[in-house]
Amino acid sequence: MTQILLLIALVIFSILTVLLRDLLKAAISLAVASIFLAIIFFRMNATYAGVFELSVVAGLITVLFISTIALTKGESDVRESKVVRILFPIFFVLFIIIDIVVMKALINRLMVVRYPAPIGNFGQVLWGQRTLDLVGQIGVIFAGVFAVIALFRKRGEK
Amino acid sequence: MVFTFILVPLVLASLMPLIGKISKRFLPDVLTNITLLFLLIYSITIGRQIISSGTGIRQLVWLGQQLNITLALDGFSLLMLFLISLISFTVGLYCINYMEHYGSKAIFYALFLLMITGMNGLVLSTDLFSIYIFLEVAAVASYALVAFGLGYDELEASFKYLMLSTVATAFILISIALIFGFTDSLRLHDVALAFQLLNTKYLVGLCMALFIFGFGLKAAIVPFHAWLPDAHPSAPAPISAMLSGVLIKISGIYAITRIFLNVFGLNPAISTVLMYLGVISILVGAIIAFSQNDIKRMLAYSSISQIGYIILGIGLGTPLGILGGLFHLFNHAIFKSLLFLNSGAIEQATGTRALDKMGGLAKRMPITAATSVVGSLSIAGVPPLNGFWSKLIIIIALVQAKAYGFAIVAVLASVITLWYYLIIQRQAFFGKLNETWKDIKEAPFWMSASMIILAMICIAIGILFPIILKSWLAPATNVLSAGVNYTINLFRF
Repeated sequence: MTQILLLIALVIFSILTVLLRDLLKAAISLAVASIFLAIIFFRMNATYAGVFELSVVAGLITVLFISTIALTKGESDVRESKVVRILFPIFFVLFIIIDIVVMKALINRLMVVRYPAPIGNFGQVLWGQRTLDLVGQIGVIFAGVFAVIALFRKRGEK
Repeated sequence: MVFTFILVPLVLASLMPLIGKISKRFLPDVLTNITLLFLLIYSITIGRQIISSGTGIRQLVWLGQQLNITLALDGFSLLMLFLISLISFTVGLYCINYMEHYGSKAIFYALFLLMITGMNGLVLSTDLFSIYIFLEVAAVASYALVAFGLGYDELEASFKYLMLSTVATAFILISIALIFGFTDSLRLHDVALAFQLLNTKYLVGLCMALFIFGFGLKAAIVPFHAWLPDAHPSAPAPISAMLSGVLIKISGIYAITRIFLNVFGLNPAISTVLMYLGVISILVGAIIAFSQNDIKRMLAYSSISQIGYIILGIGLGTPLGILGGLFHLFNHAIFKSLLFLNSGAIEQATGTRALDKMGGLAKRMPITAATSVVGSLSIAGVPPLNGFWSKLIIIIALVQAKAYGFAIVAVLASVITLWYYLIIQRQAFFGKLNETWKDIKEAPFWMSASMIILAMICIAIGILFPIILKSWLAPATNVLSAGVNYTINLFRF
């Protein structure tokens, strides 16, 4: 029951993040949503995922968002179409219905194959068995950093 | 060592900003192009070994300590690796001249090399999650490259591409999570085996649907194509060539083909879905391309149309269909890159992409015009150029499989393709020279050289196609035709 309440809270704060027009409030509700997600991770024994979710997503990213929002000025107010506000709830409800139907059908009908779990603790699995992913992660980080350098370079250089 | 294909561009990319401090242009140009040439030669040498030995699976053990970087190189991934190396090498040459006026060449090359790292990693991965990570490496680099010009259109296109791509990766990730939940493994071998044991068509259906959304968006199959006509024209021309020529094929078609044919197994239902998606893409792409005035936008819509042919061939699932699909994929990468490079040369010389403002450019830009004619005739499927053979094989495969309706559409769309490419030729290169352009010059040396190389390859493949089919395409087709059993028997590490 607690799990379901936590999931509902997670969904509600996620929706608020999308629908709130004030960026600051949206960033904060995103942080709250990820705190709930972190709690769910902890409860499901994914402690490392919980720690990362809490420290990086709820902590670091929120700080980045809020400092960026503080640095920008609200002069250029962009008009948003109202269609989104009408369409979003419709799609959301539709999605929930499809999700429930599909998952119910799947979970009741399916067998599950269990391969033996990787041997070793978190660090051994991460460094010993997911090494290629770490190489990929280095690539993603470099790409992100270079993207920032490229997009924020002086326009005069063009 | 197959890991070189990931490591070398990654290391050079990470050093590039430092190299850029020492020398703004010369060193980045030289080092990038030497590296790309090395990768091209290496892919050919390693390819010859694999083709002659028949199999080609490698596991990497580093410095005596098991780091478990498992990579696999077989006929299919080899073809892709060779294609990435070939196109990136010619595009790299083109960049020497073309990227001069954009500034920050070192950062540009760093992003370019990271995109190549991502694609190479994706092709060599044997694990669903690694595929996802390398997909992101290539994608993040490509968002920045699309917006590299920093103009309004570029930034808007890049943002749209980023948003839609994020939706695509969300679908892919959901599907991977589902598979992991039900099979407890992410390795392609384990997943393929588990699905054979489970025999659950519902789960397979759901995962396939999610993958079609995700990878279909990456490959810009209609109806998931909305981002491509903005992103590809807005990017600098060499990047358009990379995106249309290789990236959509690796992150979309390679991934979907590998997973559907070698992991899930192609069933009649999914085959039909893919064929319909293919034929819709062919028609929609061709019809919209027809009415474009912006040359790069026309080429972008044409990519959607040609991707449709590839999906149609591979979706058919017969060995001949797969062969045709892969051959067309290979050819399309070459001539579409060539055509985008041509459009870049025109844009650089005239400052415009609008076809109605051009005219008679062949008199001033003979190399660009000649290579563009080769590219256009190839893509339209005029014999004896390479596009003719691949389209012919797809159409023969369709007729053999008694899919006459699809075959007729494929032929008709080919005629439309010829039509709009003739429009490009007539409006841009032939006719009376527009007075405004009387002082323009032919593209600089390296740009011309890379266009000539690609045009020569189009002609060479057209003439030597039996050799190419036998040496490079047959091993790839064998991998895909063997279906799930291939992964179960040969991806066991």
